[in-house]
Amino acid sequence: MKDEFINKKIDAAMHSLDGIEKASPRPFLFTRLEARMQTEKNVWYKLSSFVAKPIVAFACICLVLIINASVILLSDTKSNALTQTSPELATADEYSQISSTIYEFENVKP
Amino acid sequence: MTEETELIELLKKKDRAAFKDIVETWQNMVYNTALGILQNAEDAEDVTQETFVQVFESVSSFKGESKFSTWLYRITVSKARDHIRKKKRKKRFAFIQSLYGRNDEPVIDPPDFFHPGVGMENKENAAVLFKAVEQLPGNQKTAFVLNKVEGLSYIEIGNIMQITDSAVDALLQRAKANLKKILKEYYSAFNKNE
Repeated sequence: MKDEFINKKIDAAMHSLDGIEKASPRPFLFTRLEARMQTEKNVWYKLSSFVAKPIVAFACICLVLIINASVILLSDTKSNALTQTSPELATADEYSQISSTIYEFENVKP
Repeated sequence: MTEETELIELLKKKDRAAFKDIVETWQNMVYNTALGILQNAEDAEDVTQETFVQVFESVSSFKGESKFSTWLYRITVSKARDHIRKKKRKKRFAFIQSLYGRNDEPVIDPPDFFHPGVGMENKENAAVLFKAVEQLPGNQKTAFVLNKVEGLSYIEIGNIMQITDSAVDALLQRAKANLKKILKEYYSAFNKNE
């Protein structure tokens, strides 16, 4: 009884598209289409849709990360090089032989 | 030279009036196909517009080896399937509702698409059928929509999908068998819950 009911429903559903009529879009499709084509011609629209592509966005993020990493690595090697080339400055600093404040200049003993 | 060929030649020269004529002649066919595949009026309109933009831009590649309508159907089907793919990609990042409830009972997802071309007496049944069509694999869905919603013959569907008539027949047989299976599950669950 239950199976019979289900089979009837299935048959009814399978034949429900018999005699279907064609659907039409809303009026003035051509006007909307022309407006869309005008928008798509715009340079800024083209640019934004290009940037919005996942592959482009991902590539941009990778580029920013690579630039960041290279800047950090380069600045690190530069600072190492600086400390290596000026040992006299480091020694002077350690023994406070260079006075850099006005107070210290005024109190220098003759 | 037929009127259609003349229009195509004018469109190749980017003639606005010819483009308007082409849109007005074929818009129902393109929209109805897109609506059958996408089951959403807004998406179908979007795909209809995309199809005509593509036609305008690449009409020079149309050599007349197939009928213009066949070429147009091919673009529509491909755009509609791309649209579905894009939507699925977006959904992957969003919250996906589980198919099963808390007690692992199947949740009945009520049909929400009502094709405007279906008569009142078949409205509910057609909505359930469309819900089932949504679950078919891409090629089966395309063949079924072109056959049942657009009323195309096996030969025409074969030309659009670039497969043989017997392959179309096999696709439709599989589509019908799958639909019956899906409908059986739906009505059994519906019966249980009532």
